[in-house]
Amino acid sequence: MKTLFYLNLLLLMLSLAVGLNSCQRNFGDLNNPTVEKYLENASQQQLNNLVNGTVSGARNSIDLYLDVTGVIGREIYRFADPRYTTELLGADDNELLNSNFYITLNWAARYRVVKNTNVLIAAATRSTLISDAQRKGYLGFAKTFQAHELLLNLNLTYKNGIRADVSDPDKPGPVLDYAKSLAAIAALLDQGKTDLEGAVLAFPLSPGFNGFQDAAGLIQFNRALAARVAVYREDWPSAKAALEASFLDLEGDLYRGISHVYGTGTGDQLNGAFTPPQQNGDVRLAHPSYATGIEAGDDRITKTNIRNIAASLNGLSGNRDVWVYTSGTAPVYLVRNEELILLYAEVNIRTQHFTEAVRALDRIRTAHRLRPYSGLEEEEPLIDELLQQRRYSLFFEGHRWIDVRRYRRLQQLPLDRPADNVWEQLPLPVSETVAL
Amino acid sequence: MYYRYFLPAIIYLLLTANPLWAQQQTVTGNVRDTDHHPVPGATVTVVNTTIGTVTDAEGRFSLQAPPNARLSISFTGFKTQQLHTATLKGPAQITLQEDLSRLDEIVVTGLATNVKRRNLANTVVTVSGKDLSGTAPAQTLDAALSGKVPGAYINANTGAPGGGISVKLRGVTSVYGATQPLYVVDGVFIDNSAISSGLTAVTKAVKDPGVITSNQDNPSNRIADIRPEDIENIEILKGASAAAIYGSRASAGVIIITTRKGRAGKTQLSLSQDLGFNKATRLLGTREFTADRAAALSKDPVASAALRKQFLEAEAQGKIYDYEKEIYGNTGFTRNTGLSLSGGSEKTDFFISAAQKDESGIVKNTGYRHNSIRLNVNHRVNDDIKIGVSTNFINSSADRGISNNDNTGVSLGWALAYTPSFAELHPDEKGKYPDNPFSSSNPLQTVALMRNNESVNRVIIGGNAEATWQRSRISTTKLVARGGIDFYNLQTDVLFPGILQSQAVNKGTSVQGFTRNLNTNFILSLVNTLTPSSALSLTTSAGVTQETGDFNNAIDVATQVITGQSNISQAGALTASQSRFQFQNDGWFIQEEVLIANALSLNAGLRFDRSSNNGDAGKFYLYPKGGIAFNFTKAGVIREGFFEDVKWRAAYGQATNVPAYGSKFTSLGIANIAGLPGSLVNPQQGQPGIQPERQTEFETGIDLVLLHGRLGVQVTWYNKNIYDFLMLSSPPASTGFASAWKNAGNLRNQGIELGLNARPVDTRVVTWNTGINLWLNRSEVTRLTTPAVPQGAFGYLGGTFQIEQGKSATQILGLTPTGIGRFGDAEPEFQVSSTNEVTVARNLSIRFLLHWKKGGQNINFTRLTADLGGTTKDYDEVAPGNKLPNGPNRLSKLGKTSEEFIEDADYFKIREIGVYYTFDKFRPKLIRSLTLGLSLNNYFTITPYSSYDPEVSNFGTGFSGGVELVPYPAAKRARFHLSVNF
Repeated sequence: MKTLFYLNLLLLMLSLAVGLNSCQRNFGDLNNPTVEKYLENASQQQLNNLVNGTVSGARNSIDLYLDVTGVIGREIYRFADPRYTTELLGADDNELLNSNFYITLNWAARYRVVKNTNVLIAAATRSTLISDAQRKGYLGFAKTFQAHELLLNLNLTYKNGIRADVSDPDKPGPVLDYAKSLAAIAALLDQGKTDLEGAVLAFPLSPGFNGFQDAAGLIQFNRALAARVAVYREDWPSAKAALEASFLDLEGDLYRGISHVYGTGTGDQLNGAFTPPQQNGDVRLAHPSYATGIEAGDDRITKTNIRNIAASLNGLSGNRDVWVYTSGTAPVYLVRNEELILLYAEVNIRTQHFTEAVRALDRIRTAHRLRPYSGLEEEEPLIDELLQQRRYSLFFEGHRWIDVRRYRRLQQLPLDRPADNVWEQLPLPVSETVAL
Repeated sequence: MYYRYFLPAIIYLLLTANPLWAQQQTVTGNVRDTDHHPVPGATVTVVNTTIGTVTDAEGRFSLQAPPNARLSISFTGFKTQQLHTATLKGPAQITLQEDLSRLDEIVVTGLATNVKRRNLANTVVTVSGKDLSGTAPAQTLDAALSGKVPGAYINANTGAPGGGISVKLRGVTSVYGATQPLYVVDGVFIDNSAISSGLTAVTKAVKDPGVITSNQDNPSNRIADIRPEDIENIEILKGASAAAIYGSRASAGVIIITTRKGRAGKTQLSLSQDLGFNKATRLLGTREFTADRAAALSKDPVASAALRKQFLEAEAQGKIYDYEKEIYGNTGFTRNTGLSLSGGSEKTDFFISAAQKDESGIVKNTGYRHNSIRLNVNHRVNDDIKIGVSTNFINSSADRGISNNDNTGVSLGWALAYTPSFAELHPDEKGKYPDNPFSSSNPLQTVALMRNNESVNRVIIGGNAEATWQRSRISTTKLVARGGIDFYNLQTDVLFPGILQSQAVNKGTSVQGFTRNLNTNFILSLVNTLTPSSALSLTTSAGVTQETGDFNNAIDVATQVITGQSNISQAGALTASQSRFQFQNDGWFIQEEVLIANALSLNAGLRFDRSSNNGDAGKFYLYPKGGIAFNFTKAGVIREGFFEDVKWRAAYGQATNVPAYGSKFTSLGIANIAGLPGSLVNPQQGQPGIQPERQTEFETGIDLVLLHGRLGVQVTWYNKNIYDFLMLSSPPASTGFASAWKNAGNLRNQGIELGLNARPVDTRVVTWNTGINLWLNRSEVTRLTTPAVPQGAFGYLGGTFQIEQGKSATQILGLTPTGIGRFGDAEPEFQVSSTNEVTVARNLSIRFLLHWKKGGQNINFTRLTADLGGTTKDYDEVAPGNKLPNGPNRLSKLGKTSEEFIEDADYFKIREIGVYYTFDKFRPKLIRSLTLGLSLNNYFTITPYSSYDPEVSNFGTGFSGGVELVPYPAAKRARFHLSVNF
């Protein structure tokens, strides 16, 4: 009967196990906070995390943005992935592909930040734990940043457009044409400005915002972006007004502005656009036309560094390393005073205020050890001069390709190989082109 | 929730029954084979009881049996015999006949039930321990299965030491869910994860910031920890019709592994020692340079002149090298030592093994070391209660080198592809390596100084208990409890010291990963066997199962590491990441099996399952199964004669694949800046209502045995539908999400499996056993609710997979001059394999395994990489009909057509050849037998494929196998074997 005792024991265990089996387990997310939680009733701390996540995330793939605009705009060569030296330069009869990294990664990185700002907007709108003035601060910040991110994507896809309204991932808004996309970005910046007026910032920002860490500072940042957008739209009165409300300072430091900052701290990033000098293999070279096109004495030649051995690949060759970002923690500017001065010059040229335009251009020229402008004070030569100054002042900051495109001068960019050509725009990523 | 009361109710009902106990008598006997050799280890049981024993070394047995009992005597490879004790006068003399057709083999049918193959409604492949490692042992268990399982597509991901194998049973069963089968070792559901070391921190194979691991980090999968030599046999349930009773993790099939057991009788000591070497199966060679070719590497006149000078100087000094040979052309020495002790008494048996394997790779400083200790004990408490424990401790360490995709030029193959033969990479007399001017790394320096190690300490403990709880003349009820734990700690250690050329930016990188994983499972069931007459037998089983998993992985990436240090605290910058998951799956099952007149067998079962990974964790999903087999010969429809056995069978079943952990959440990742903590929405959109994907499988077939068992034929057709397959769909990226979990569509696999086993030669001196299998699978996506977008690989440029309605699930698309077009399919047209054993004069055994894979394409980027680097061996050759030499010709197609990158990956391999001679006449009988052998593994391959080996996968074991980018080359193995039994 010992057997029966064992069996009863076993049955008891069995019943216990059956009992245990009955309780349902739900482990939750053991690795991350979830969007659903943030939307319930976010605390100031949680909202601040979204703010800094936005500022931090806005750096993702920025090096790629600089590379793609730099390569197509014939500012640089990038020897790494073969597609930098083939497809992006229009080699042979290569087409740009909508599934390739140069558009997909860039596009997704920017829209990821847009998503984050939309979560921030929704969370701040619902939160009962912040004051109305604080709420306006979050909203104004979110909209300004969202506009910036949208603009970078529009710069890549140009006439292919962007989606401006993506707040509902299950029903994203339509892809707008170029003019409507720009208008949507301008409107978003205006809303952001309105929110920031009378706002109180309840969040700290990275040192890249030093000097702009309050509502007034963010308005200046917002208006600087608005000025760029207005110039792209050729809306000169708006551009002039926006410049006046920005941090434009003709006499001020050319590098005053808002930047992506980098660091080695936990969860932080290093500047991927930095390449150590004299590398082999993976390199960024200044396009040979950079050194040939520069005026003698221009100190902006130091944005490149002479190589001991020229680097070549696929019929391309260069003997200067790009030297804009001189360390892994060098900042990348979102917008800075030098660009604002050049925007100011452009507005004045296009509104026929040539003297004021030359004053602004000379500020740039003398700062770079050049003699003042001595050409004709007429629109066309002044535009030539403006584009030349923009080319060297904003070298490898993501402007050249957009500038020559704005003035329909893509055909003037140098071709290195007979079968190369210059792209006007990138295709929309494959994920956007398939019907939902 | 009535199921909650279901099992306790059965338990209660059965409690009221009354066990019968009977008088016993002693039966003794002697078991021999047809050559009058004793058969030790044969199982002798009293039918319908748990009373049983095994024969000793002289083939003798003795047991206590009730009067008038029926004895059943069985032994693997022999036909089972029965006899009535009443007919016995004195000791029983039993002669076992060889079972060529294996119809008497016992095959699993449920969690606690089994049946003879003769009555099985499914195809269940059994691979014996001898088939597995008895010919030419592979390095790891998964590799040892290659070519031995009809219906399986087994593909080695890499030649790197320590394994990494993908096993797909009957086609791809999931796109983003688990495609790999569930492995069960002695009742323990074991983990087969491939855990990344975070190597992408060095290779930047995936460039996204914040991404610590990638599926291109070339990890091994953990099934490699199981030592093949410890395995008694493997049963493979290939789809839902057989595996339904395993429920929520069975949709990719189940591989049931049973390890060796001891046998009553004299304690046996076995010692085995292998010695051998590994060499690359093939090297690609490198371009022969001339001064002009060297100069043409650069278009820049200055650089070009410098290259010409460099070449001429190198040539003058005789410094032209074959770096591929220096790196991949090494011979790796191997040894494998095993010691086992087994034996037991009538009540208790045991098997102990201890083994060590040490193999060097074909790249210096790579290799694999594996230590294993096993103890299996079974004990019979009394006639009614049996318990058993199997325990296994494993310690393994693999130095895997660096290979595969890379965006920093550090992967060995990548650096080789860009380095011409006239470069000088060798260290100077002080040991200092020069920088490689052609790439961002010096591969010789990388090999000498880097480390990429995976080491595991793992314990697997399985337990089982079986108690006869009720027994009468016609009914036996058993309680069967099985379960176990599988626990391991895995450490990954990646070190790239700052002195490396490739570490110019990071100035030393150390990536240290720590993983702790615990899996547990149990099955409790009641099994009743009712035998109202000898012509009818009913087996009812019901029970409850539970599986849990708890995974915790932390990876620290340290950069700017202090010279000479690998400790992550000795670093200028540190990034930490942690990944955790837990799951619990609960199931209930009930199954009925009926056997009528040994001819008609019917079975039906239901399983209810829920999983914490499902959107609704509390919801039970129902999975039915059923099967029928009709044996025409046993039924007397076909008289035994020309046909010894004819069986028709059909089976249907359902199983699931649970969603991945976390697929129901939209989460935020950490994105800090300047010390400010930040949250950034992850690019994967969760799906709160995510459902498991459901698979239904129907299979039917005929099994024939002819010519007195000398020829067996099995034919099977199956149709497998996967409903609501899980997919990471690609929503418009403007939503902020790169991927979103969806139950996206339906997928179908259909296939045919033909098996033939024969003994063409059977003489006194020579016997030849052969088995030939042919199998093929075709898949089709029958419904897709998301847009078709490229999946995996590297985009249309070089070829990519694409899930598309109406198309094969594994089709390969790429660029054509007129747009996107189809170039091939990863799925082979068919595969054929043949296992053979020729025995001469009983003691000499020659074994070989042939494997032919016809069709199936790979996406190969290795040649493109070398073309871009200007170092391909055939770069300057001009193919007939072409104007341009091969290298420029292929490069000119880049961006226009993908035809150069999608290649046929057919192969014919002699996978295994072994020759063994056994000496078994020793006097005095100190040694029972001594076997000497020589074996070759993967030695001969015929393939049109241009790269190292058509078996390759840059992306590991997931859906997108067969993509190649500078892999660790495959190795062939030669071994000398010695084993001694005392």
